[in-house]
Amino acid sequence: MFDINLANDILTLCADKGADFAEIFAEHNKKSSVSIINGKTDRASGGIDHGMGLRLFKDGRVVYVYTNDLSRDNLLKTAKDALTGFEGSKKAVRIINADKCDTPHKVLLQPSAADKRAIVQKLKTAGEAAQKYSALITQTSVGYLDSEQTVFIANTEGLCRTDSRTRCRVSVNAVASSDTEKQTGYFGPGALKGAEFIDTLDLEAIGSEAARSAVTMLKADNCPSGVMPVILDNGFGGVIFHEACGHGLEASSVSKNASVFAGKIGQQIASPLITAIDDGTIVNQWGSIYIDDEGEFGRKNVLIENGILKGYMVDRYNGMRMDMPATGSSRRQSYRFVPTSRMTNTYIDSGSSTPEDIIAATEYGLYAKYMGGGSVNPSTGEFNFAVNEAYIVRNGKICEPVRGATLIGKGAEVLLDIDMVGSNLKLSEGMCGASSGSIPVCVGQPMLRVKKITVGGR
Amino acid sequence: MQYIENFKNKLLEKAKASGFESAEFFYQSSSSKKINIYEGKVEKNQTSSTGGFSFRGLYNGKMGNYYSEDINEDIIDTVIEGAKQNAMLIENDDKEFIYSGGGEYAKINTYDADISDITAEELAEYAKTLEKAALNADSRVTKVLAATLSAGEAYISLGNTAGLDLNERSNYVIAYADCVAEENGETKENGEFGFYMHKKDIDPADIGRKAAEKTLAMLGADSVKTGEYDIIIQNEALGDLLDCFIGNFYGENVQKGFSMLKDRIGEKIADERLTLVDDPHMEGGMATCAFDSEGVPTRKNVLIENGVLKMFLHNLKSAAAAGEEPTGNGFKQSFKSTVGISATNIYIRSGDKTKNELLSELKNGLLITELSGLHAGANSISGDFSLLASGFEVKDGKITGPVEQITVADNFYTIINKVKSIGNDMKFNSGGVGAPSVLFEKISIAGK
Repeated sequence: MFDINLANDILTLCADKGADFAEIFAEHNKKSSVSIINGKTDRASGGIDHGMGLRLFKDGRVVYVYTNDLSRDNLLKTAKDALTGFEGSKKAVRIINADKCDTPHKVLLQPSAADKRAIVQKLKTAGEAAQKYSALITQTSVGYLDSEQTVFIANTEGLCRTDSRTRCRVSVNAVASSDTEKQTGYFGPGALKGAEFIDTLDLEAIGSEAARSAVTMLKADNCPSGVMPVILDNGFGGVIFHEACGHGLEASSVSKNASVFAGKIGQQIASPLITAIDDGTIVNQWGSIYIDDEGEFGRKNVLIENGILKGYMVDRYNGMRMDMPATGSSRRQSYRFVPTSRMTNTYIDSGSSTPEDIIAATEYGLYAKYMGGGSVNPSTGEFNFAVNEAYIVRNGKICEPVRGATLIGKGAEVLLDIDMVGSNLKLSEGMCGASSGSIPVCVGQPMLRVKKITVGGR
Repeated sequence: MQYIENFKNKLLEKAKASGFESAEFFYQSSSSKKINIYEGKVEKNQTSSTGGFSFRGLYNGKMGNYYSEDINEDIIDTVIEGAKQNAMLIENDDKEFIYSGGGEYAKINTYDADISDITAEELAEYAKTLEKAALNADSRVTKVLAATLSAGEAYISLGNTAGLDLNERSNYVIAYADCVAEENGETKENGEFGFYMHKKDIDPADIGRKAAEKTLAMLGADSVKTGEYDIIIQNEALGDLLDCFIGNFYGENVQKGFSMLKDRIGEKIADERLTLVDDPHMEGGMATCAFDSEGVPTRKNVLIENGVLKMFLHNLKSAAAAGEEPTGNGFKQSFKSTVGISATNIYIRSGDKTKNELLSELKNGLLITELSGLHAGANSISGDFSLLASGFEVKDGKITGPVEQITVADNFYTIINKVKSIGNDMKFNSGGVGAPSVLFEKISIAGK
């Protein structure tokens, strides 16, 4: 997708003018989206993202330029401008060929070749199932997104790789209404797959479940406030690790000593029940990567083993600062962003308790069935995330539903407070926003219990 | 620009020949410079120059959309075919329009030649000043995680087969400081930003100092007991909260049943001192513009006046569906998006209370200065929110100590009726939403 000679010319120019390191990231991304509101297609759009970013290192600083005029003249001029003020001269390793892209994340049907009409018909079943679930469901919206991204990455060390990443995602929203209130239920499954992904989904079940959640919340009382034990269900419950710990293990904050987990490798930072992994290699999983956005192969990184901190997620730039090798964790939303260390599919591994054991062992607390998103300040470890559907647990039994809870705490404390870990690991898809943009990730965990956490109810 | 003009003409001609009844070309280019300083040195230096366009057109009465960042004649067929396919997928009965003009456009000033002349070296100097100001504010400020200055420029042009031909240029500078303060093993972090449309206004030292002050003020913070409190939500934090619920005032959301404000125009929905205004012509506003992404002239709109819901914001489509005039709010987030509805410089009007008067009136309670996790903890449709918050405890009308690790929970539609007093300090937050500090009664706080 990018001329090797031009790549060599740009990289050689950068080295000749004294860049310690130079890297080309070129991208072509064909996207489409559809939204269906109350059973009718409401919006359909698509387009082409197309551009190139050039990253240079010089004496510890980063220079980044991007453009979407990929003509030879403009790219050489852009490179020259970026090199203003550079001194000295280095050597670039000449690229002969781009490595063959041998991605294990196979695509059976490229979305651009798929019949959108047929996809829309299938998606409608989710909205219909939601409508059918209850007369209280007054609105439904079903969304669909795909992207076919091809990238070309080359650097002055002779690395030259291409990759194509095809992703599809569906979102299902159901709104339940009474005279005075509206509540919502939501699911958003996605995969690193083509349009065949749609056929793997039980859209009817997803629609009914979104409706059930909305109706349940419409009838629920407000969640009580205070400090209490909280049971987080599997799947999206993993947002707790993502926020409370994951971001703090990214080299971008660790390298500036701006993380509560900086300098703690080998130390006990979590309950011994916790083993946490970031795994970019799971085949066709939403957050997976064959190569990351600086051309390193994605891999399975053990972050925490039995409560002991084992490693960070490291990109090339912060790795230089920390004197640590890159871990295949460097990601960016598009050529418009400087890549940095990010998560892929991050999860707490299965433990030995059954979900039934965990509920039965809890005298009083909150059972959070579905979670929403959250955020964290890595410097202080203060995190928050929303609970979309929750229940009070009393005497070892799940009782009445409650709504509107947010859970808050400090990462370093909450990891030590996990006292039961279930055996039913599951991953869930989401989007994660940070300095290098919004990227697809999975969070995951089995059901687990936190001894005490501040529940923000009303 | 001549290249783009020719490209537009070819594209629109070809669209007509391929069966589009009417069609529109929207072009956006931007360039930016951004410098990060870390420990007195340039850490990151970014520059960009990008452009892209979107095409939309009516095909059998349905609107088809397609965009591209690849701008050359070879792409024209792909774009037209893509838009046609998309038009053919649409099933709703909405009547769509391409605007033929006729309105009066306000004369606004969004371009300062001095700003476009700012060099990367000047930005680096500003950023160094900002970092130094934060570090020099107090020895407990240990590092400045972000000392960032960016300058940007954007150009928009819009042309269609109904003869519309508009363009607008704007530029700005943003300064951002994010610093860390440490004391007795405790770490706090906070930031401050400045948005400038004139070079003479740029004051990086002020931003650095304010970031340091905000951060230092939180050292020694503790939680408070769970319970019901009277609280002041400070201007910027209230702007953050308001931002989550503005979509309920958009005509399309109302018509499709996603807003609880449906059928409530003319009703009192909020405290009678509350007035909500959207003003696209405000001098120096982040969203100041003369026309929206459909080419409709923008205008000042009053959404809530003295507590009474007066109107919704519309694009051409939702206005026609409501049988009303378009309000000039048919915006795209970028050329890549389809036309939706968006507020411009939206704000709650200031009241008359000084900060001290608000504090004395509060007497005992909390001053909330920051709300976090708004994308998750606020449900834009139900109005429910439960948010991580920090701020200060107030006793006998005086700020006593910093507070953290609490949540503030209520419902948007309820809280706008729990207003006790409104401050005179309206300020726009980093997202371009403005609010004064407001004293609310009996709000649920979760803490220890």
